[in-house]
Amino acid sequence: MKFLALAFRNVFRNSRRTALTLLVITFGATALILAGGFFLYNYEGLRETSIRNGLGHLQIYTRDHLDKSEEHPLQYGINHYRELQEWLEGRPHVMATTAQVDFVGLISNGEKSEAFLGNGVEPDRETLLGFSLNLKEGEPLSEESSDAGQVILGTLLAKSLNAKVGDVLTVMSTTTDGALNAIDVKVVGMYSTGIKEYDARSIRMPLQSAQHLLESDRVSKVIVKLDATRNTEMVRDELAAAKLGPYGAGLEMKTWQALATFYNQVVSLYNSIFVFVGAIIVILVVLSSSNTMMMSVYERVREIGTLMALGTRRRQVLTIFVLEGFLIGVLGATIGLAVSYGLIGVINHAGLMMPPPPSFNKGFPLLVKFVPELFAAVFFMMVALLTVAALVPAARGSRLEIVDALGHV
Amino acid sequence: MIQTHAGPIIQLRDIERRYRLGKTAVLALRGVTVDFWSGEFTAIAGPSGSGKTTLLNIIGCIDKPNGGRLALRGKDVTDQPTHRLASLRNQYFGFIFQTFNLIPVLTAYENIEYPLVINGTPKAERRRRVEELLVRVGLAEHRRHRPNELSGGQRQRVAIARALVNRPVAVLADEPTANLDSRTGGEILDLMSELNESQQVTFLFSTHDASIISRARRVLLMADGILQEDERASFTHAAPVIVPVAVGA
Repeated sequence: MKFLALAFRNVFRNSRRTALTLLVITFGATALILAGGFFLYNYEGLRETSIRNGLGHLQIYTRDHLDKSEEHPLQYGINHYRELQEWLEGRPHVMATTAQVDFVGLISNGEKSEAFLGNGVEPDRETLLGFSLNLKEGEPLSEESSDAGQVILGTLLAKSLNAKVGDVLTVMSTTTDGALNAIDVKVVGMYSTGIKEYDARSIRMPLQSAQHLLESDRVSKVIVKLDATRNTEMVRDELAAAKLGPYGAGLEMKTWQALATFYNQVVSLYNSIFVFVGAIIVILVVLSSSNTMMMSVYERVREIGTLMALGTRRRQVLTIFVLEGFLIGVLGATIGLAVSYGLIGVINHAGLMMPPPPSFNKGFPLLVKFVPELFAAVFFMMVALLTVAALVPAARGSRLEIVDALGHV
Repeated sequence: MIQTHAGPIIQLRDIERRYRLGKTAVLALRGVTVDFWSGEFTAIAGPSGSGKTTLLNIIGCIDKPNGGRLALRGKDVTDQPTHRLASLRNQYFGFIFQTFNLIPVLTAYENIEYPLVINGTPKAERRRRVEELLVRVGLAEHRRHRPNELSGGQRQRVAIARALVNRPVAVLADEPTANLDSRTGGEILDLMSELNESQQVTFLFSTHDASIISRARRVLLMADGILQEDERASFTHAAPVIVPVAVGA
C-alpha cells in the first residue's frame, strides 16, 4: 500500500508526459472497443438477417440430398414433410416450420429465356416464420386460390426479361422423372435481396406450383424457426436425440451457421481485421508506454539511488515502477472506456450509413454494439499491457548501482 | 533492534576500492584502516578525488570494497548479500547528501517517515518520531510542504531529520553544506553539532571546507585514497577487533 501511494503520486509528477501516455491508451482502448462493437453489431445483424431472409435456425434434408448429387429435381427430397412439420412444431422452442422446393430451369417471356434458381415456398407459413422479402413492386405470393400459378422475380431478372407485374411467363424445368415440363405463371411481384447475382437469377413461386412443375409431392427441405438464435444448438441436439420423430428416418439437420456461408466469410474477414488492428494498437501502446516509463526511470536515477541508500530493496524499486505502469493502465483504460461509451451513443444516434459491400446494392447503418464483455476485456488487456510494458524499465531501474545512481547528473 | 557494542561501532581494515575509468584502473582507496566510535563528530577531509566520498560509501554499505573488511558493531558485513545490505543501511545509518536527495513527491513529513515505512515501524511510533524530529529541526510548520516548496536549508534539515528518524548507529553526511550559502551551512552544522552533543548522535561527514573542519572533534585527512592523518580531540579506546559474524543470521 505504501508503494502504491508513492507510485500514484509519481504518475502525476510529470503531468504532460502522463497525459500523452493516457491519450495513447485512451485512443487504443477506444479504437478496440469501437471496432469490436461495430463488428459485433454487424455479426449479429447479418446473422439475424440471414436467418430471417430464409435460412431459419435449422434446415432438415434427406441424408442422400446432402451426400449425393441429384440427377433429377427432388430425387432425394423429403416425402412425409407435412407429418414432419407437425411433429417439429410440437417441440419446445420451435416457433414454426416451412417446406421449400429448390429447383432450376428456364423462364421465358416468349422472346427471351433466362436460367433461374427457383424456390417453391409456402407464403403463409413463411409469414409465420417472419421471413421477410424486400418487395420492390407488386404483391407478395399468396396461397394459390386459382389455377393460374404465381411467381415473383428478382428485380434484375425481371428487368432482363422486361417483365412487369401482371405479365405471364413460362417456367420450364425437368420433372422428377427426367421429362421436360413447363407451366405458365403470372408475375405478381418483384423483389431484391441486396445481392446482385441473386437478384439476376432468382424466382419464387408457391410450393404447389413448384411441385406441379416438377411433378413431385416431395420437398427439398424443411426450415425450422426457433424462439431465439441462442437456442439453436440446444434444440438441434434435442431433435437429434429424438431422431427427428417418427418420420425422421434418413433425415439430417444443419444449423444456420453451417449454411450461412456469407456470414461466416464476413466474420472471418472482420476477425482478421480486428486482430490486425488490435496488434497494431497493442504495439503502439506497449512501445509508447514503455518509452515513457524508460524516460521516467532515467529522470529519477538519483532518486532511485536515494531510495536504495535509505534501505529500499531492489524488488521494491521494481514494484514502485511496475505499480506506476499498472496505475497508468487503470487510469487510461478507464478514460478509454468512458470515451468509448460516449462515442457509441453519439455514433448510434448519428444515423450514419456505410456504403454497400461488394455484390450488394445498398448500404447498411453504421451502428456500434455496446458489449460489456468487450469493455471488460479491453480494460484488463490495457492494464496488463501497461504493467508488462513497465517491467523492462522497472527492471533496469532496480538494477542500478547505488553509487552510480547517486552520482547521476 | 541493534545490540549495544562496547568496541568501535565501525571498523575498516585495509579497505581497497578500485574503479575502472575506460581502460584506466583508478585506486580510490588504498588500504584504509580506521575505527569509529559512538558519539564521534568526525570530518573526513581532503581535496576532490582524495577518496572521501568513496570511504563514506563503503562505510554506509552503499559501495562494496574490492579488498579489506568492514565491521559494524563488531560484526563483519563485508560479504553480505544485496538485500541484507539494504536492511543494514536502513537500520545502521542515516544519510545526508550534498544535494539533499529528498523524494520530490513526498511531503517533509513523509520524507522523514520513509525509512521507518520501509522497515515496518508501526504507524503510531512513526508519527511520534517524525513529529518529534520536525520540532527538533524547526520544521513543524512545514510538515506538509514538498521539497520544491522548501529552501535549501529547510531541505537539508528535512534530510537531517530523515537521517535521524531510524535512530542510526551513525549519520553519514557527504558534503552536507556544499550546496548551501555560508550562513545556512553554518546553521546546519550547528544543528548537527548540537545533536551530537545533546543526543550523542554519531556524525561522520566529508568536507573540504576549512571552516567546517575546524568544528570537527576528529579529522581524518585523505589524499590519493590513503588515510594520511587522524587527528583526535579526546578519543582514546582499546585496540578494536573484527569479529567475522554474519549480521542478521
